Amino acid sequence: MASNAQDNNAPLRMEGKKEEEDEEDYEYSPFHGIEKGAVLQEARIFHNPQIDARKCQQVLTRLLYLSTQGETFTKTEATEVFFSITKLFQNNDSNLRRLVYLMIRELPPDSDEVIIVTNMLMKDMASNNELYKSGSIRVLCRILDSSLLQQVERYFKQAIVDKAPVVASAALVSGIHILKENSDIVKRWGSEVQDAVQSRNPMVQFHSVALMYMLKNNDRLAISKLVSSLTRGNVRSPLAQCLIVRCVAQVIADSQVYAGQERPFYDFLESCLRHKGEMVIFEAAKAIIELNNVTEAELAPAITILQLFLSSSKPVLRFAAVRILNRVAIEHPMAVSNCNIDMETLISDQNRSIATLAITTLLKTGNESSIDRLMKQMSSFMSEIGDEFKIVVVDAVHKLCLKFPSKFRSMMSFLSSILREEGGFEYKKAIVNAILGIVRTVTESKETALTHLCEFIEDCEFTYLSTQILHLLGEEGPRTSHPAKYIRYIYNRVILENATVRAAAVSSLANFGMKVPALKERVRTLLKRTLFDNDDEVRDRAAVYLKLLNKQEEESKTPQVLRGKNISLSGLEQSLREYLATPMMETFDIATVPEKELAPVVNMAKSKDTSGPAALDELTLKSDFEETLSSIPEFADLGPLYKSCEPMDLVEKETEYTITCIKHIFGSHIVFQFNMTNTIEEQVLEDVSVQVDLAEAEDYQEVCTIPATKLPYGVVAQTYVLFSYPEGTMPFGRMVASLNFVVKEIDPSTGDEEEEGFEDEYPLEDIYLSPQDFIHATKISNFRNKWEELDPETEIADEYGIGVRDSLQDAVEAVVETLGLAACEGTEAVPPNARSHVCLLHGKAVGGMEALARVNFGIDRNMEVAIKLTVRAANADMSEALHAIVAEG
Amino acid sequence: MGFLSKLAALFGPGKKKVKILVVGLDNSGKSTIIQKLKPNAEKKTAVPTVGFNMEEFEKGSLCFNVFDMSGANRYRSLWEKYYNDAEAIVFVVDTADKFRMCVVKVRMAELGMSLNRGGLADKTVSLPLKDELERMLSHAALEKVPILFFANKKDVINAMTPVECAKYLELESIQTRAWQIIHSNGLTGEGLSTGIDWLAQTLQK
Repeated sequence: MASNAQDNNAPLRMEGKKEEEDEEDYEYSPFHGIEKGAVLQEARIFHNPQIDARKCQQVLTRLLYLSTQGETFTKTEATEVFFSITKLFQNNDSNLRRLVYLMIRELPPDSDEVIIVTNMLMKDMASNNELYKSGSIRVLCRILDSSLLQQVERYFKQAIVDKAPVVASAALVSGIHILKENSDIVKRWGSEVQDAVQSRNPMVQFHSVALMYMLKNNDRLAISKLVSSLTRGNVRSPLAQCLIVRCVAQVIADSQVYAGQERPFYDFLESCLRHKGEMVIFEAAKAIIELNNVTEAELAPAITILQLFLSSSKPVLRFAAVRILNRVAIEHPMAVSNCNIDMETLISDQNRSIATLAITTLLKTGNESSIDRLMKQMSSFMSEIGDEFKIVVVDAVHKLCLKFPSKFRSMMSFLSSILREEGGFEYKKAIVNAILGIVRTVTESKETALTHLCEFIEDCEFTYLSTQILHLLGEEGPRTSHPAKYIRYIYNRVILENATVRAAAVSSLANFGMKVPALKERVRTLLKRTLFDNDDEVRDRAAVYLKLLNKQEEESKTPQVLRGKNISLSGLEQSLREYLATPMMETFDIATVPEKELAPVVNMAKSKDTSGPAALDELTLKSDFEETLSSIPEFADLGPLYKSCEPMDLVEKETEYTITCIKHIFGSHIVFQFNMTNTIEEQVLEDVSVQVDLAEAEDYQEVCTIPATKLPYGVVAQTYVLFSYPEGTMPFGRMVASLNFVVKEIDPSTGDEEEEGFEDEYPLEDIYLSPQDFIHATKISNFRNKWEELDPETEIADEYGIGVRDSLQDAVEAVVETLGLAACEGTEAVPPNARSHVCLLHGKAVGGMEALARVNFGIDRNMEVAIKLTVRAANADMSEALHAIVAEG
Repeated sequence: MGFLSKLAALFGPGKKKVKILVVGLDNSGKSTIIQKLKPNAEKKTAVPTVGFNMEEFEKGSLCFNVFDMSGANRYRSLWEKYYNDAEAIVFVVDTADKFRMCVVKVRMAELGMSLNRGGLADKTVSLPLKDELERMLSHAALEKVPILFFANKKDVINAMTPVECAKYLELESIQTRAWQIIHSNGLTGEGLSTGIDWLAQTLQK
């Protein structure tokens, strides 16, 4: 009930807070409480023959305020206001005129109507008043169509080289706007814009550089030329300089750099690091850091500059520097580690955003020895920052823990201590996810983590998190050394929590009862008490589990039939539904459930309606298969399931029988699971099995076949074939398969099947086995370390041409898919316009053998792609196997 | 400019401001007339007005605030947006453009003549002048507002006389308001001051 109370309080608190904020707003805003209707009424003064400029300015400001606040005006309102504003042109107050310009731009009426002011604006543009000129130019560029533009084009050209900066800037900015729709016109202004670049006014220079760049944007050669002339020229405006730095970065990104060759324009970027303006320095440092495949030597000057920024007195510089360093830290932790001392002082920075970034950067660059110290510093600091920052920190700790698993103790205690503090749902969820992530990767941490989580749910206000944790306890708890100690925590939930959590707790308890025989009696007692719960779901679950526990006892001698975990509730539901569809003449036999309970049956039934691959993907979960396979006695001793491949169709669509094959990989065995559907109504198949010819897969030995006894119309049934193969290898193979069965016709009039059937064979498509079937695509964060760890002896490199591709990205995707490995460190994304790319791949095969691949891609003018594949793996055979995939594919 | 107008406002408090709407079909000479009426007008040929133009000039004790509307077909619907606070209307009629003045009453022979002279710039059949006029006069906001017609382009040979114009446009039927028709030439300024004087008198009554 605790969470309900919380839910009621939460909105109330929020409201109170909001009111407070609003009050503050009221005090300071001169626009408080203005209403559209009232302002529109006020706007009538625009019609007065004697215009009060001051009054009109106030009303216009209010109208503008309304429109920026998201207030919308109806068409009539807008039209009326607009026409009354046009009358204000008779007044020559320049402030009023400026607001009139703004208003026409902000509140554009119909294009048909707005044209009415064209003549006035053109008059203003030709006037001698600079403010009129600049203002009218900015409005005109919005309302003129191409034919009218041509009429006034010469005024624009003159304005660009006007000696008043405000006019020149306005014309240049208008050029940028016009460029979008009438690029031809703006292109004719090239020489004027070129002149403006030489302007002494920084703003004009900035705008002209921007327009120049946009004019040439489509032509890579022209851009390159422009940039080289700009970098040589003396551009004084810091803003323009920043813009040039960005253009340079773009040019560098577009140009191809070969190893060892110096990057074009790098010198320029470096010289910008010594610029007077901090803005330029920062922009240059940022550009250097974001270069593709930047080397440590290239990074060094930028990092040094940023390090100076770290100790700057301006918070904005500190923030900018630490933010950029934070980003670099992922890829180049070593380069950033020089700044660690400066960064540590920033942890106590007054600005919490800076402190958070500093700490997460430190976590990324930190080495094993500094972790304990950092954790200590952080605990004191966590209470001072907002939830969203805390989430960032928690994520960083999570990643750090994956990097240094041996330090899990201090990190786990840090996480658990912040878990106990106040915090919102997202924050708590991040912590719980981090702990779950650590449990998954660092097995030693399991017991500590479970204890912490148990304590957490004692006082957890979030139903979602409680149920998640209870589920985890049910899964992991029974396997720990003292399962008994969790029982108390879980049962407390049954007493104290809301219905959803109680139900989760009951399931969790039942899991303990089923997996730990010593606890069975105690669990049963507890479950009996929950039979009197006032919630249906909780009672139902308790009853089902009690029944299962009893049944388990009776049938303990035949373990494969019903061992708690084998009851898939969805399977049960499925068979119950099927039972309800029958006339229900016989009583429902629970014993039929295990046979039909096999998870894929349900999957297939579902996928028949949706028939989308997505539905299948989602459902062919490994755990489902593991459950299913381990219930078959022949497969019970195969060890843990390593991988289940994607289902593969063995017949054309829309034929008599639909058959898909799923390969399940174990340590030294492979199971082929064939899901079959009979689509002929007049037939029933019996004793169905798949015959596999191993002539072209010599490394495999057939162990046994489990046929399906009966395959009636429209039902999915399974048959399995088990093979063994030498452990530690990933043999290639092609297997010729055929379906063997006995056909029995069904008499369409009576619906009875005939006594006699005849044997038949149905050819299937060949089944291929290749190394990627054995490899799990797994992502790792530190590719270089892993690469160094593996024996260089296993390295094999070769080059392949992979033909014409649409783009480099396309080629990368194709190769990654063929190899069946996962791209690491975000290398699956090819930067736009790149001519070459390096992709880092990683995968893990049966028995934990790892394979790393570095793929260099190159694309030539004809879109012909060539790759160089360099592989390191646990052993040379594996490297060869990976090369074989590419050679074959 | 700003300073000067302030001065004017300071020294001429007695000057009454009147808003005048100048309308008429395109190419009838509105902008030319207004240019001519301004005391220190710079000499330049008028280009078709896009939208409207705003001018100010003084005549006697009155300060005329003139809205020179564009006559192009596309903008004629926008005239009425400015009817509300107009105190007088100047309607400029192109006496040479007989075709558009009154489609119904023009004989075929006359039509041929006007076509030959190229007075038909706007071939897209727009509302004839008379219909525009009727629509305007029936507008509620313009009840009682005095109206001055300039029978413009008297220099063109074969142009209609004011009497003919009045007949074609059935001006005799206007009885609820003051109206006057003046033969004028926008290029030379002939007849303009006569018209404006009449307007000033009527407005001061």
